Amino acid sequence: MSFLNPLILAALPLMALPILIHLINQHRHRTVQWAAMMFLVSAKRMHKGMARLRYLLIMLMRIAAIGAMIFAFSRPLASGWMSGVGMGKPDATLILLDRSASMETQNIQTGESKRSTALKKLAELLEKRDYGSQLILIDSTNGETHPIESPKALIGLPITEATATSANIPGMLETALAYLKANKPGRADIWICSDLNENDWAPDSGRWAAIREQFAQLKGVHHFLLSYTDQPSNNLSIRVANVKRRQTRNRDELILDVLLRTENQQTQTSNVARRIPIELEVNNVRSVIDVELDAQGASLQGHRIPIDSKLRSGWGSVALPSDSNPLDNRFYFVFSEPPVRKAIIVTDTSKTGKAFRRGLGIPTESHLQHSAKVIPLSRVTEIDWESTGLLIWQAPLPSGLLAKQIESFVNSGRVVMFFPPTQSGSEKLFNSSWGNWQKPEQDRGKVAWWRGNADLFAHVGSGDPLPLNELRTYRYRTIESLKAENPGTPLARLGDDKPLLVRVATDRGGVYFCSTLPTAQFSSLERDGVVFYVMLQRALAEASRSLSPASQHDAAPDVLAGHTPWKLVAPIENAPSISQHGLHAGVYQNEGYWAAVNRSLDEDHSKTTRVETVDELFDGLPYQRIDDSVGNTSSLANEIWRIFLITMVLALILEAALCMPEKKVAQQRFNEFSMASGNMKQESL
Amino acid sequence: MFDKTNSQHSFIDPKVLARLSGLGLHTRIPMLGSVSGRHRSSVRGSSLEFAEYRKYVPGDDIRRMDWRAWGRSDRFYIKEFEADTNLRLCLIVDTSGSLNFTVDGISKINYIKSLAGTLAYLASRQGDAVGLYCAGKNFHTEIKPKRNATHLRIVLNELAEIKAEGETGLAESLHKAAEGIDQRALVVVISDLYIEPDILNSCFQHLRFRKHDVVTFHLLDQSEVDFDFDRPTRFVDMEGGVPIMADPSLVSKQYQQAITGYLADLETVMLDAAIDYHRVNLRDPVDEILARFLVGRKPKKK
Repeated sequence: MSFLNPLILAALPLMALPILIHLINQHRHRTVQWAAMMFLVSAKRMHKGMARLRYLLIMLMRIAAIGAMIFAFSRPLASGWMSGVGMGKPDATLILLDRSASMETQNIQTGESKRSTALKKLAELLEKRDYGSQLILIDSTNGETHPIESPKALIGLPITEATATSANIPGMLETALAYLKANKPGRADIWICSDLNENDWAPDSGRWAAIREQFAQLKGVHHFLLSYTDQPSNNLSIRVANVKRRQTRNRDELILDVLLRTENQQTQTSNVARRIPIELEVNNVRSVIDVELDAQGASLQGHRIPIDSKLRSGWGSVALPSDSNPLDNRFYFVFSEPPVRKAIIVTDTSKTGKAFRRGLGIPTESHLQHSAKVIPLSRVTEIDWESTGLLIWQAPLPSGLLAKQIESFVNSGRVVMFFPPTQSGSEKLFNSSWGNWQKPEQDRGKVAWWRGNADLFAHVGSGDPLPLNELRTYRYRTIESLKAENPGTPLARLGDDKPLLVRVATDRGGVYFCSTLPTAQFSSLERDGVVFYVMLQRALAEASRSLSPASQHDAAPDVLAGHTPWKLVAPIENAPSISQHGLHAGVYQNEGYWAAVNRSLDEDHSKTTRVETVDELFDGLPYQRIDDSVGNTSSLANEIWRIFLITMVLALILEAALCMPEKKVAQQRFNEFSMASGNMKQESL
Repeated sequence: MFDKTNSQHSFIDPKVLARLSGLGLHTRIPMLGSVSGRHRSSVRGSSLEFAEYRKYVPGDDIRRMDWRAWGRSDRFYIKEFEADTNLRLCLIVDTSGSLNFTVDGISKINYIKSLAGTLAYLASRQGDAVGLYCAGKNFHTEIKPKRNATHLRIVLNELAEIKAEGETGLAESLHKAAEGIDQRALVVVISDLYIEPDILNSCFQHLRFRKHDVVTFHLLDQSEVDFDFDRPTRFVDMEGGVPIMADPSLVSKQYQQAITGYLADLETVMLDAAIDYHRVNLRDPVDEILARFLVGRKPKKK
């Protein structure tokens, strides 16, 4: 039990007042000369058992009445989980609201989502319970802190509305930690409202140990987790995996790969297939197709939608009938003509330049246009950075203005691949530099390991690996990382454990360091061809995405960066405020560029973290988990002062009943007997 | 006989005496007096009031033979008449400390003095002998009944001297009186009777066994029955016992249960022993009590 006015509980010693008054009365006695002592002795002897019990009950009722009155004034809240929290009021309350797309799972009967349920209950609870002088909301979309005027204001704020983003719970806790350290509010309550999505919580992250350790150093911080782990009863999610605009001789068309995924346990276990209609919308033209669902969902590969040949770029969406999560029922996409995939090769060695140009010049698909240009280091100023997607740099690492230009190039989403220069140098870029040329020992020049699940050396569509095991390296240059804690991600290693290809971590774009050259003097990359070609084409494809005027993005705060504001194209209804652009699923346009913003793939695929695992994350910290269910209308805590008031009234009534004087039978008897006795039987004598 | 100016006997109110002057003191049983008086005797005498016929037996005084009856029935009958005698009024008054209990300026001991003095005077006036027994634990006075005016003064003087103190010795006094009074007497017990009914039962049975006509005036005040106190009180025993601290709100009911039970038991005792029992409220006037008592004992006309 918790109290809204806990200070009033200081008056609890007043419960001893009846006993005190009783004792004072005992000492306030008067002295009477009394004759009929024999009856008094008998009365005292008889004043045991029920009489004593009655008196004790009277005292108890008086004590209970005072106690109930004090408790009623202290405004108690009834909730089992609050009992372990303590009664002190916090100086600050921090709310970590998970606004990720998965939090929009609804109770179909009530229409309430996990987020709205949590928000309402929390606002109601904080309204009743003292939340201290500071009420802070930490936004799950960007981790920023927002002071809130009152709990009621939480409902209806744009920063508490649903988004298509993912949450970063460890990051939010780090923000909370930073806030608490900076403001030192004393006792603080941290409320986390989440559905325990594994993607949001990242329970395997090493950050948790540091968070736990730092919170343990702060005194008076209580963590409350308002968890909604109930799985949706019947939910389907839809996503467009790939969209292409193809132009043939006869007509223009869009080619879509659509994926449907079911979360319904019953559907997953049953073998009964069912059909579901999918609404396709392109350029405000709608069509519906039926898709057959199997246990896992459905996949619609290469679905063609004819479009007007004049429509060079545009947007569309695929939608499902409404179910328990409305946010994963629609997926927006944008399309445009494929851009010219332009690559610039900077090298002073013409042989090497030719090898790269051969690998980049041949398009993977006939409708794509490729452009690969070799320029020497002395003419790098001629590079058109805007139209270039991929930069192959086989020269000493640049510095100064050129280095900044390359960094800016990468930050705009493009890709740079660095290959070792033949001449030695100690220049550094992207916290990396080239080491010395090495010659691997016999059989050590083979590729011993490569990352086949992602990036440039990922397995092909059929699932077969690239033939990297056939690759031979005769000479290579070591890649030195200046950042020991973050040396980059190796994508392939040679037999002597030295990396062949490393991807350096960047916020956007891609930076690769390859330790050898494709020519026969250094490796068999050019000779074997396949690995070299695939590696370059994949890098070019990734780089070209940023060249396309139409781009797909996961919802995030900075996804619509640019000098001019992006204009919302869809949806028209329930349009988010400008500040929330990029956080909500939709289509945005900025001059000739299109951007489709949707929830991330992880929001569809991520599982719920086990509550035991989450509990372990807060191990050793003052922590309370409150399991709630979506649409549950009961309050987190109810004020129960009425119960105490009724108890007080009942106690007073009972006390009054027990104190009721009894009939004076003896007086009546005295008179009757007195009258009768005068005429006592003379006849009997 | 009664000195109106004597302040020593102020407990006797002349107005009360005047009011009761027309009422005689009668016994419920025949007395065995030494001289002629107003009361029925247990033996046949020579009064004018016919008692009964009985058969002549040799040796009877032939002057008492009813010749008219012989003439009618040819049988000898002796005609007998009632004998009138005087009575012995033995006043047994309790002098225990509890009789100092006072209500509205009237103490029980003064009430006893008034009651006993008035009765003594009334008895003496009609020629009956008056005796006094004071029943205290440490104080026991015994004045044998005599029927002269000087003796009445002695009795009244003794009454005036009585002080209520100490524990009660009523039970012993009653037994002593039962044994000490030789002939039948009207024994009047005046007390608050704060003794267990079982003990009193044996006392009264003893008196009845000695063929005394026993009258009991039980002095009790309404406040003693009601026990109407509103806050914790320290009750000091007037007979010198241990004081008791009690909260009347807690023990009131038990107290009343105890006194009700006691009165019921006492009633049974009085009925069993055929005691002329009068419960007297201290607030009732003495003349009213005595008038009721005297009227109640007046012989019924045959």
